[in-house]
Amino acid sequence: MSVIFSIDAPYRGQYELHRLTYGSGGPSVAIVAGLHGNELNGIHAVNMLNKMLRAQRPKGTVHLFPLVNTFGADQATKRWPYDDQDINHAFPGDPDGSVVQRIAHALFESTDAEVCIDVHSGAPHVREIPQVRAPMGGDELELARAMKLPVVWRRPGIRLEPTGLIGAWRAAGRKALHMVGGRGITLDNRHATTMANGLFNLLGHLGVCGQMGSGMDTLADVTHADVEAHRASCGGFFVAEVRVGDPVQPGHLLGYIQSPIGGERLDEVRAGRPGIVMTVRAYPMVHAQELLVRVAGTP
Amino acid sequence: MPEMSAVIQVELPSGDKLAIIRRRFGRPGPDVPRVCIVAGIRGDAPEGVRVAHQVAKVLEECEDRLTGVVDVYPCANPLGAHQGTRMWPFFDVDLNRRFPGKETGHQPDRVAHALCSDIRGATQVIELRGAREAFSEVIHAQVRERDTAAAQLAMGANVSLVWARKPGPAATQTFAHQFPGTIVLEGGTGNRLNAAVGQDLQEGVIHLLTQVGVLAEVDLPFHWAALNRPTVVSDAQVFRVRAERSGLFLPEFEVWSEVEVGASLGHVIDSENGAVLETILSPTKGRVMAVREHPVVYVGTMVARVVSL
Repeated sequence: MSVIFSIDAPYRGQYELHRLTYGSGGPSVAIVAGLHGNELNGIHAVNMLNKMLRAQRPKGTVHLFPLVNTFGADQATKRWPYDDQDINHAFPGDPDGSVVQRIAHALFESTDAEVCIDVHSGAPHVREIPQVRAPMGGDELELARAMKLPVVWRRPGIRLEPTGLIGAWRAAGRKALHMVGGRGITLDNRHATTMANGLFNLLGHLGVCGQMGSGMDTLADVTHADVEAHRASCGGFFVAEVRVGDPVQPGHLLGYIQSPIGGERLDEVRAGRPGIVMTVRAYPMVHAQELLVRVAGTP
Repeated sequence: MPEMSAVIQVELPSGDKLAIIRRRFGRPGPDVPRVCIVAGIRGDAPEGVRVAHQVAKVLEECEDRLTGVVDVYPCANPLGAHQGTRMWPFFDVDLNRRFPGKETGHQPDRVAHALCSDIRGATQVIELRGAREAFSEVIHAQVRERDTAAAQLAMGANVSLVWARKPGPAATQTFAHQFPGTIVLEGGTGNRLNAAVGQDLQEGVIHLLTQVGVLAEVDLPFHWAALNRPTVVSDAQVFRVRAERSGLFLPEFEVWSEVEVGASLGHVIDSENGAVLETILSPTKGRVMAVREHPVVYVGTMVARVVSL
């Protein structure tokens, strides 16, 4: 374990960016979690992967960054708490810039690997099935599929914002994948385990580690057109009737919106196609047009 | 009486309704100039909201003499203003990174979309802000780099400085970017009101209304000769001064003070024992545009902005 960047923090100890490295030479892989301090499943998944790697002799290099935004994690905030800046909007960073720009720069420079993965949880108000978001084709899609996560979501132009970590990696010619699973502010141990296994599968696919044979299967391999997004028709209190990973058929009741005072049912949400529930609203107070449920279509 | 309407009304989960208000002064018609004044896009800038109300009060008194239309949107982010937060609460997004918005998106996206739709076609757009949080800033106007017409117009905004800025990486998602020629007025202290700053900004906006032809100069409630005469500066003349040690910043200069190159702008002191860790020096001869008010700083935190004139 090494500290690749540190900065003095008034009234508390230093901020330190930690990196755990296994092996040497190629292929090289960098796995980052905890850019957002309240997304705990990624942190747990990477630490589980760390334990798996201790029992391996990797043929290549694996860099792990289990928790970038330690100060945010201390306070359960997504952003860097001092100035409320999102580190994931500060890439590729600036060694002479603000504190988040300096952290972003240090992280970007120290993740100079052939394959890079940014691991997140869902937002605090939604729960996501473990999934990998990848481009529509090419090597990155092949790597995404090798993870065998429950959902592979192919999205054109995914995360190409130049100030995001994925976009910065891609702009630098690195293969980059975005993994998401579970809910923010919450530890979903089952989902985190699936995510850790997905990362391990990827390392196996790259020949860095032995194949684990986790028994995982991808349930849905979808594009945006295959994903049915149900949004709230009105504000209210959403009661979900499904969990992520549930298979559904057309007409299946996914949940309903009721009045928060009195409980009068205002609307019902039903599946329009067969598929797997990939996203479910967790915080029940919803505004009109907010996402309630996503169903990943299956043949 | 001015017309008051809701640009958009959104429903909160509790059943409450939230309206984004527009106050319209004057009568629309063909070839009639229309000026849109928008404030409160961020909830931590109450100065802009108050100035919008002050301007509306002036317009109430001279509405029958307006030769154009003035639409005042006093507060685009009322939930943020309620809490004094920059972000749109709950969604925790910066409304000024959501433009042009989306009709079918979440609440802040729909507000951004509704604002843009309502303002489209305006002759001139003015965005009123306060200072950014944690800073005191000189009253200044911001216009887009190379927009000489907007810079020329902003010279009449009763500001100390017109800053012709190069668009940053997020510029396309900002409100001002949606309407070429927009003049952004800033000044004061983040999350604070200051009577003098508010008065200057109000007079600047009213004077701009005469410059775009919706108000006659004779209706100005003050004499134009009393207005500030600013200079236009570019990014190359504006120096961001950052701390290189973490601690507490103790400024030695006030906003708009003159400084020499190498003059001390302040010190960073140790938060545990008060020892001076760093003396921050001015990189140029000029004036202090902005000073950090909130003392806690990290390595890399901007503590001042100095403009070379």
